[in-house]
Formats: sequence, structure tokens, C-alpha cells
Amino acid sequence: MTIRPPTLREKRRYILISVEPSGTIIDRKDLYHAVCDAITSLWGDVTAALIMPAVISSEGRYMIIRCRRGTERELSIALASITCCRENPIALRIVVASGTINTLRERIQRLQIPDTEPASPLEYMIGEKLFYVQYCSGQKVDLIEKGFKNTNRLFLTREDLEDM
Amino acid sequence: MKITDACIYPYPSGDSSVRRMALEARSLGFDCLVAAGISSGNFYGIDVFNGVLLRDITLKDLVNRVRQVRDKNAVVSVQAGDNGFNRAVTGVNGISIMRGIQSADKTAFDHVTAKMAADNRVAVDIDLSPLISGRGVIRQRAIHRYRDILVLERRFEFPITLSSHARSVLEMRAVREISGLCSLLGMDTPEIEKAFAGVETISTPPDPAVRVV
Repeated sequence: MTIRPPTLREKRRYILISVEPSGTIIDRKDLYHAVCDAITSLWGDVTAALIMPAVISSEGRYMIIRCRRGTERELSIALASITCCRENPIALRIVVASGTINTLRERIQRLQIPDTEPASPLEYMIGEKLFYVQYCSGQKVDLIEKGFKNTNRLFLTREDLEDM
Repeated sequence: MKITDACIYPYPSGDSSVRRMALEARSLGFDCLVAAGISSGNFYGIDVFNGVLLRDITLKDLVNRVRQVRDKNAVVSVQAGDNGFNRAVTGVNGISIMRGIQSADKTAFDHVTAKMAADNRVAVDIDLSPLISGRGVIRQRAIHRYRDILVLERRFEFPITLSSHARSVLEMRAVREISGLCSLLGMDTPEIEKAFAGVETISTPPDPAVRVV
């Protein structure tokens, strides 16, 4: 099948999202299934077919999701209803929408902030559980429980750690 | 207008500290939070009110518990029960918000309760967690109940509040996303703005009916 000329192609929109919590590695295929499930559950198959979602690329914590032009609202509401991906609790924060992928890639370059110096000490005893610092950015500090499975994560700030 | 999330559960009920939730709320576009079990304060420019939630309690105990609340900035809310309980609750002085109406009985909130809520400035809370994390029948039932409540709200104009009931920063949603979720309930933009300012509405004293000039 020959490629259609630009005037006959469907117009698309690209949505840049950031995946929370930081440091979570999500496979594009897993995210695609989570997005499709959310859209189908909320809007049904007909609207899902109209939206035509696709996960285009991922760079670190940022991902680009494609949809048909005019369906951004439906997609953004459905994205708000995603709470986990492969049983990992996540939140998808919409950063910006654009008509081209290049614009979003430029945006990602500007948004990439290196992790700041970790809070010291690196381990904290909270209750009877031992937590270590997993991620630090600005005031935000994420702690994760030491262990092999069922490890809890705590979302704190530097001030909280100073108060301990 | 102060955009408020009317209920969050910080640590130890949830996994995020109140400071972290305030930080997240600021980036998500909120001005104000009601946090359960936290003394009122200001964190990173976000006003946080102490949220007192009373549930599974008789009316007599409820009145006593409301009297015991000493924090003037506390937002006292009650879990909705049956119709008689809800009518009585709307008449109790000091109650600000009625919660959990989506999980109460179908006849728990009727036109009489709606009129009383409007007269006594008791807000009805729209809990968005069934819309965010619920699927299938749970979400459908919640949407149906909220649409029914909004019919009464348009007629009697009692205050409405919006809450995420987030126990983690991951469960918090941006103002724009909450607006989108509210549009599923048939709310238009002025109604959503009014609901976001619901806590401010109930916490400010009403204009006097007669003003001496």
C-alpha cells in the first residue's frame, strides 16, 4: 500500500507524559496495554477505536503517547484513571500536547533534571522498618523499604527527614 | 477562589507525608488541602486544613465529638448513613461536609435533605476515587449517584466539594484532570469552579440577611 500524501493523512496529536514515581521503569508495551484498558473501560471500544492510542517513545521518565486530533480530552481523562501498570502503582502526569514529536523531544531535553545530591544518611529507621533513599530531587525524597518483596515506598521531603 | 482538594490521607494513613502532598498539590494546581488527622498549617504555600472524619457513630456521639473539636480551622465531615441520619446530620451545628454518599443507600439523600443542607451550608462531597481507580459497576454506580446529587444541587444550591481521597502522591490528580473527570458527571465549567471552591464556601461565614447601613 502506498503512503498517502500529507493532505490525506489523519491528523495526530502527541502527548508528553511523565511517569511517577521517578525511577520506575515501564515497558512501552505494558504502558500501551494499561492505556488501552483505561480507554476501553471508560469510553468503550468505539471511542477507543476513534482515539487510536499508541505509545511512541520513552526517554527516561518521559513518554510520548499518540492519539487522533480532537480526541486529546478523552485520552487525558482516561490517562487520569491509570493507577498501576503490571501491578506497579504509577501516576501519569500530562506535561504538554503537541502536533509534532520533535517539539516534545525538545521539551524533554529542557525538562531533564539530574537527580540532586542524596539526603544523608542514606538509611532511616521508621517504626521497625529500615528504609533507604531511592530518589532525590529538590525537596522530594523517596524512601524504599529494604527487602526482597512487598517493599513499601514512602514519599517524603528533606524537611521530614530532618525532623526524624 | 481557592482550589481545594477536600480530602487526602497523609502519613501514617497513607504513604506520603503532608509536606510532600502539599508540594505535589502545588505542582498540580491546588491552593488548599484538607488532610485527615493533621493539624492545620501552611506547607510550601499550600494551606492545609485539619480534616476530622466521623464515621460509624450514633447521632448523640456525633454531637459530642463535634463539640470536642477545638481547632477552629478544622473541617468536620461525617460519613453518610441512612436518610434519617443524614437529615439529622445536616441540622447539627459544626458539621461541614457529608461524605460517602455514593456508597450510602439509594434513598439516603433526598430533596428534603438537600434543602436542609442548603439552608445549613453543609456540603456534599464528590469522592473521585471510584472514578479514578474504580472499574465497571463500581464506577458506573458512582457516576449515577453523583449525577443524581447534581440534579438536586442545581435545584437547591447546596455546596459541593471535590476530593481525591488520595493516600499517596500517586493518587493525587491535577486540577485539569479532575475537571475532566467531573465533566463525566455532566458538570460544566462554572459548576466545577464552584465545587473546587466548596471548602472556602463553607468555611467563610454567610453574608448577613440584614445589613445595618
